Amino acid sequence: MGLFTREVEQVPCTVEVSHRFESLHAHVRFDNGAVVHPGDEVLVHGAPIMAAYGEVIVEERAATITRASLIERLWTRATGDFGFMELCEFSFSEEIKL
Amino acid sequence: MNAPAGDLAPHMADDLGIDTTMTTAMATETTLLNPRFYTTDFDELDRVDVSSVRPAWDGLIAQMRSDPNKGHFKKTADWDQIDWAGMEPTLRREFIDFLVSSCTAEFSGCVLYKEMKRRGSNPDICELFNYMARDEARHAGFINDALREAGVAVNLGFLTRAKKYTYFRPKFIYYATYLSEKIGYARYITIFRHLEANPDQRFHPIFKWFREWCNDEFSHGEAFALLMRTDPKLTSSFANKLWIRFFLTAVYSTMYVRDHARPAFHAALGVDIEWYDQEVFRKTSAIARQVFPIEIDIDHPRWLPNLRRMRDAFGQMDAGTRQGGFLGWAQRMAGGAKAAYAFAALYTIPVIKSTPPANVRLEPSY
Repeated sequence: MGLFTREVEQVPCTVEVSHRFESLHAHVRFDNGAVVHPGDEVLVHGAPIMAAYGEVIVEERAATITRASLIERLWTRATGDFGFMELCEFSFSEEIKL
Repeated sequence: MNAPAGDLAPHMADDLGIDTTMTTAMATETTLLNPRFYTTDFDELDRVDVSSVRPAWDGLIAQMRSDPNKGHFKKTADWDQIDWAGMEPTLRREFIDFLVSSCTAEFSGCVLYKEMKRRGSNPDICELFNYMARDEARHAGFINDALREAGVAVNLGFLTRAKKYTYFRPKFIYYATYLSEKIGYARYITIFRHLEANPDQRFHPIFKWFREWCNDEFSHGEAFALLMRTDPKLTSSFANKLWIRFFLTAVYSTMYVRDHARPAFHAALGVDIEWYDQEVFRKTSAIARQVFPIEIDIDHPRWLPNLRRMRDAFGQMDAGTRQGGFLGWAQRMAGGAKAAYAFAALYTIPVIKSTPPANVRLEPSY
């Protein structure tokens, strides 16, 4: 990992998108056990996965992990904590007047 | 404390803007869900040892395993049909914003918990996060269904967009999610009790589901309370108490500002926003005595005036953003300074101290 440089990795992954009444979720799993670190960026290739209502889609795809540089990783570690507010139901849209 | 709202806000704003142009009864809008992805120190999480709270832990996990709310999230005859097209447009917009925000929060919780379950190797931790991810996905699905009835389609296509992974320290996950689950419980139960007393103001059936629903939030909060108890420093060291105070102030004041952005929604429920928020703070603070040694003095003379100042400051920043240009920028900066000042005034209100009880577990009692 470079101080300022980013490295790119191609990894196989499995995506699961559930658009059902019982469960609305979407997850990505890296099939080779790759681990994502703070500040890394993940791009799943291919067309958007559009699960229709009632559908669960599981697909094998390829993903690109762009590894954060050391500086970026440290910065994300130091500042990421302040994103916590988005876990609260009342804090999403930034607009004060709707 | 003006936490980044991720990529969601602009899309949501755009998409919600569509409803003013609605002409047919059920034109479909699309809301792109765009949760953030998280990472944390998974090794630290794996080292958590729950043996000091084992009996309480096992009791809670057994309850989650039995899945008491499994049959709750189903539409029954109690699910009244709603005339969405006939709903007053401002109310409709604010209510949909409420549903979308709730759905996204559940969804983000699900993503976070699932990631913790998948990356962990500590069986206690993995089992807990597995159940919590299950509950959040179920809640999100239920809200999504209500949105569909309103003609709002949720788009899950975000997976194929580049995602940056945000980092939370484990202790921040504990403080933040503990508070967010407990405050979620207090919000849902306060609305539920209010509508129980005033059923004529229940303009949508989803509120009828809030009582059992909020028990899930409550028990998730219990799990984080137990996790915090496994390491007493988390709630007793000087620096950590300052963090807890920070989280309390940030979460409470954000809630106050955000709720005031939905005046028509609260008016339709017959709820005075300031009353409601104080009530939610009161309940949350009473519950949080189980684990936090400090609470905010919400009856202090500086409390409400500075919350109002904070709300005005955010309004000013928002107006500046809309205006654009140099004057807009200046207005935003002035609003930001005012918000920072109000936050400092809130943060420095002397806290109320207490000693958390030996037995951490609580049952929902409101």
